[in-house]
Amino acid sequence: MAINSLAKEEVLRSLGTSEHGLTEGEARKRYREFGPNEIREARKTPLIARFIKQFTHFLAILLWIAAGLAFLSDYLHPGEGMATLGFAIIGVIFINAIFTFVQEYRAEKSIESLRRLLPFNVKVVRDGREREIPAREIVVGDMIILSGGDRVPADARLIESRYMMVNNASLTGESEPIALHHEPCEGDLLGSRNVVFAGTTVLSGSGRAVVFATGMSTEFGHIARLTGTVEPGLSPLQIEIIRLTRIIALIATLMGIIFFLAGRIIGMGFWENFIFAIGIIVANVPEGLLPTVTLALAMGSQRMAKRKALIKNLVSVESLGSVTVICTDKTGTLTQNRMEVKGLWFNGAFAGVEKLAEAEMLCRVSYLCNNAKYLDGRYKGDPTEVALLKAVREYVGDLESERIYEIPFDSERKRMSTVNLIDGERYLLTKGAPEGILDISTRILLDNETITLKEHMRERILKAYNSLTGEGLRVLGLAYRIVAADEPLDSGLERDMIFAGLVGLEDPPRPEVPEAIRRCREAGIRIIMITGDSTRTALAIAREIGLVKGEPVIIEGEEFRRLTDRQLRKRLSHEEVIFARMTPKYKMRVVSLLKELGHRVAVTGDGVNDAPALKGADIGIAMGITGTDVARESADMVLLDDNFATIVNAIEEGRAVYDNIRKFISYIFSSNIPEIVPYLAYVLLRIPLPLTILQILAVDLGTDMLPALALGAERPTQDLMKRPPRRPDERLLNIKILSRAYLFLGPIEAAAGMTGYFYVLYSNGWKWGEMLSSIDPVYMQATTACLTAIVITQVANVFACRSFTESVFRIGFFTNRLIFVGIAFEIIFQLFIVYHPWGNGIFSTHPINLRIWLILIPFALVLFAAEEFRKLIVRRYGV
Amino acid sequence: MYKNILAAINEHLNSEVAAGYALHLARVCKARLILAFIAERKMTGESIENAHKSMHRLFEEARNAGLQVESISVAGDPLREIKRIVTHESIDIAFLSTRREDIKKRFYAGTTARRLLIGLPCSVALVRVVHFGKIHPRKILVPLKARIAHLKERAFFTARMAEAFGARVYLFHCTRPVESFFLGEIHLTPLQWEARLPGDISEFIKVLKQSGIESENSLSPGTAGKKIALEASSRRHDLIIMGASERSLLASILRGNPVEELLREPPCNLIILKPRHGD
Repeated sequence: MAINSLAKEEVLRSLGTSEHGLTEGEARKRYREFGPNEIREARKTPLIARFIKQFTHFLAILLWIAAGLAFLSDYLHPGEGMATLGFAIIGVIFINAIFTFVQEYRAEKSIESLRRLLPFNVKVVRDGREREIPAREIVVGDMIILSGGDRVPADARLIESRYMMVNNASLTGESEPIALHHEPCEGDLLGSRNVVFAGTTVLSGSGRAVVFATGMSTEFGHIARLTGTVEPGLSPLQIEIIRLTRIIALIATLMGIIFFLAGRIIGMGFWENFIFAIGIIVANVPEGLLPTVTLALAMGSQRMAKRKALIKNLVSVESLGSVTVICTDKTGTLTQNRMEVKGLWFNGAFAGVEKLAEAEMLCRVSYLCNNAKYLDGRYKGDPTEVALLKAVREYVGDLESERIYEIPFDSERKRMSTVNLIDGERYLLTKGAPEGILDISTRILLDNETITLKEHMRERILKAYNSLTGEGLRVLGLAYRIVAADEPLDSGLERDMIFAGLVGLEDPPRPEVPEAIRRCREAGIRIIMITGDSTRTALAIAREIGLVKGEPVIIEGEEFRRLTDRQLRKRLSHEEVIFARMTPKYKMRVVSLLKELGHRVAVTGDGVNDAPALKGADIGIAMGITGTDVARESADMVLLDDNFATIVNAIEEGRAVYDNIRKFISYIFSSNIPEIVPYLAYVLLRIPLPLTILQILAVDLGTDMLPALALGAERPTQDLMKRPPRRPDERLLNIKILSRAYLFLGPIEAAAGMTGYFYVLYSNGWKWGEMLSSIDPVYMQATTACLTAIVITQVANVFACRSFTESVFRIGFFTNRLIFVGIAFEIIFQLFIVYHPWGNGIFSTHPINLRIWLILIPFALVLFAAEEFRKLIVRRYGV
Repeated sequence: MYKNILAAINEHLNSEVAAGYALHLARVCKARLILAFIAERKMTGESIENAHKSMHRLFEEARNAGLQVESISVAGDPLREIKRIVTHESIDIAFLSTRREDIKKRFYAGTTARRLLIGLPCSVALVRVVHFGKIHPRKILVPLKARIAHLKERAFFTARMAEAFGARVYLFHCTRPVESFFLGEIHLTPLQWEARLPGDISEFIKVLKQSGIESENSLSPGTAGKKIALEASSRRHDLIIMGASERSLLASILRGNPVEELLREPPCNLIILKPRHGD
């Protein structure tokens, strides 16, 4: 039998202890056997191993091989500058590694936040004596003594209790106090009323309990374990980058091999050919891609922060854009968590809140049986009580009365009572769940007369209750009675009450939510509401905010627990799903099932027990205002305003980031062709090499970087949230983007480069077939012209890449000012390479005259015009 | 299959819980239960007294449950004495509890538990108790490999344990992810995974069904030890029953050892079964 169903003696026997507690010797033995009572972090990959991993992934290995070949080449053929290339590639590996590591590294603090919820010291009985010991020394079988204000150190079965009330919010998310007892009871351990759990708080009363689980075996440890172990897996962007690098690796290697073989066929020497093959590989590898992606994500996260979404994990910026399902809480996220009295039912009829003054007893119960306060012009207290107090103050005014007794609310009775002195008489005033209030009522107040509450009247009340909940209102029943002078004030007072009426309260939806939901619908994103509210309330609010249009599938907590995974998956595939009467512990299962179905899931949460779901989802979203530290530490994103609409804004930004990454990939890849063609010409046409390897790196890691970053800052386009989420099989680099870069824009840039190169050679009297020394000023000027041509055409390409279909003139030439910053940097850097002696020294360049620039500029204009024409065709004919 | 069941008792509380599992198995198998306490030379008087008290409580409980129960108390080397009892009493399965030393040592090498697991000529159920509030499991997780040695005995043991506690059985198979060089890891839906269910697991399900036990099955790609712990934690299982590791020390060092990982930090109580009965 479970521990909660055992009698006191059986509990003591099964845990090998007695009423006098454990002996010190036995406690020591158990401590040695079971270890300390503490929350431990799951074993993780050491930081150093995570750093080393950044040097051993596929792209890094590719670059290591390239660097190794460059050093080998330099060793065999010194003076070709290959060692410099080798160092440059290693530099790239380090830059990539550090960027990625910094991006991935996040100090894990969620477990630390959990630890803070456990007490430092605790009172125990050992050897029959009461004493205080550190909580970590608690062992199974220890008898702990608890009283109001204590934090519970371990999971324990109560064997004695006096009016004990606990707050289990850290475990269940329910902040309502729970009354405990020590009698055996059946059912789920977590729902047992005779068990206290580690990390929860004793609100009042006192008791003695025997520990049956410590440390990671407690329910609290269970949350810590899940939070520490669950991994959302790679983000869609990370997966795409892995794919991308593999494709690039294949293309680069194949081209290297093909041109190596071609070189051999036309009779090139082995080492000359080998250096050439390395050049081809280096030209194909986009060295600047990873840092650019990281910086684009960082910029995206800054934009999101301005829209009140704080991103904790950079990769999440893009993951947000791929979300297909949002599992959201209701209270505080979809609604304002600000209750208002909306409707009344008294004297057998419905009435608006403005009629409150006509219901004297309703006012008295609402105002006096209430712990909310109006202080310094502000209401303070539970939102429901604040709403009642506010309504009475607004429509009736303040009431005076002395409270002489209180029976606090607890989740089992679901009601609260006070005894107040009114006009010299003692009134018992009670408010709570209507069913419970009806159970203790025998009379009803109708037109100032008290009559017996007959069955048909009960049915009318229940009908009125259902009608109010059907409107999405939270309904409270109110009752009262006069307490006789000789009647003792105790918990037995709640009986024979006079039913005064019903009050319907609404937690109004946030005004931005209906629009945000409409946008989600247009964007093909499903929203699943997970709430602890009743089905009727959940459905009514869902209809009000436009979350459901038809007949949704509604799954209640109890049913959820019973259903198998297969059954749940079937229900989850329905278009509109609502989870009602749910507790946060089930969220994790919902997230796992949705992920199994191939969805990319965002989930909201604020409580401690939301942490595993927040960690397990593709995007965990914690509430910044109402969220616990644990939830915030476990999440990928924190909503600074707790508002659902902010999630939708963040998704829009996420989609924009993905689009922008595609734009700068297209931009970066375009310059690969003018970097490769010179090598082909070198081999096939037997001409001096038109572009050196360091000049390629000057483009990839120099001039291209800032304009690419500027593309990463493009604003979201109008149609972004009208498209469905991208399909899992949609690639970051697809045939369209690759062919646009390699077959359309790239060749124009290559033509510019080769024109500049040959123009300089021919204008300086070069003859076909003549080989030039690498330090010949004419040769250096020619390569400089080739490099300049690439840079000039890339300037036009930045504008071309701002949209795949829209004209730059339609987007607005000046709408992204960073583009101009990027271009300015690009040009200044190129001027440094061309005209500064240091630039000349590093990149083997030589100053060129203005005429060459003027010859090359038309190529940029051609590229720009050609791309505008292509976009026009695409827009007009949809090709 | 199990006519004579041995439960080894010591001075620790977890051995009493482990013996509790044996008692319930004996009840559903209508087997004879033998409670054995081997007093080692270094044991204190208090430890011996504690062990005897445990024996007494279990004996009473078994007798009240109508079981044929015997108790043996001897002094000596645990391995030698238990081996002798197993042979002498024709024991089919022995229940032993782990100690902290078993978990501290890598691959629990050189521990009494390992020596018994390897050395006993009967099936062995090695029990690791971490939760004393859930000793009557309602949900049992059974992780399975693609190829199951002693399939019938493992299925029989699982079925009888489920029957003993009226528990639901959840089979779990951790598999390698489906990958392609260019596409990376390929996501498969649960239905697609089910179509890849290994033959031995289908057979295991069949044997369970024949014993009147329905099970829920799931497959998940990933690292076995981690995934099993995660599955048990997230689905709130009360007991894990898994087969003993068949990996050599070298293979364990190179590829990891899911059994050891779970033994070290189990999310709930754990039984490691080393079956000896042939299929």
